[in-house]
Amino acid sequence: MEIERKEIRGDFKPELIPPETGGDINDYEEALHVLMKFVGSMSSALEQVSGRGANAIVYQAGKRMGHEAGKMTEKTDNLEKAMNELSEILGMEFYFEMWKPSGQEEYTVEKGDETIVKLLFMDCVVRQTLRRTGLPQKGPLCYLLYGYMVGAVEEVMSIKGKLDIDHVGPNACLKTLTIKWGGK
Amino acid sequence: MVKIKVDEDACVGCGSCVEDCPNDVYELDKEHGKTVVVNEGDCMACLSCHEICPSQALEHDDIHVAKRLYIDRKVNKAISKII
Repeated sequence: MEIERKEIRGDFKPELIPPETGGDINDYEEALHVLMKFVGSMSSALEQVSGRGANAIVYQAGKRMGHEAGKMTEKTDNLEKAMNELSEILGMEFYFEMWKPSGQEEYTVEKGDETIVKLLFMDCVVRQTLRRTGLPQKGPLCYLLYGYMVGAVEEVMSIKGKLDIDHVGPNACLKTLTIKWGGK
Repeated sequence: MVKIKVDEDACVGCGSCVEDCPNDVYELDKEHGKTVVVNEGDCMACLSCHEICPSQALEHDDIHVAKRLYIDRKVNKAISKII
């Protein structure tokens, strides 16, 4: 397949910030695919070199991103409110909703000093990347989302939390977020 | 509300969807050797059953379809010339 390449020439000074990004949508699509392949290869190489340590590295990176994202919303003690606000902020990259089985009345379940909520991740850039690269789900890259959610929840609620993967699928993944109130 | 259709002509009764579904949405009707939907309300549209079904006998209506950014249109265009 022949790809048309068009060179852009012009004067540029380092202090000048271009007012808008150049290129058309096809350029972005190509860049996205290259990035997906790059991130996928990096994740699998990381796992090859560091073994299970890869998960911790990716988790830490995700957590940092989560803290940054969490700063964009108001602090609250209400888990459902926090989840709704985070869903709006993370919506573009990670579209998620709270989920409950049909027999359960509330989204949140209180268990001792813990509150548990199930989250259904529908749109997820991590899943897209894994499928684009042909890598299995539940690998180190999924820990990015783990860290991301934990970081965001920690930032919004000032409390410790953990996220467990219940089930992964091609269209949605179910995760359990556990908040430990004693860990404040 | 998710609506699930099972194509009874296509279903081979392997039970893969029954085993794979985390929410016990399906059961295997042993008498007819086909999958039946017993718990539609608990379906979260993960579509694991779609992926595992060897005969593509399942259909989910009215679900959130996740963005498929990994589909490379250039590759698809090239493949469409062959298929």
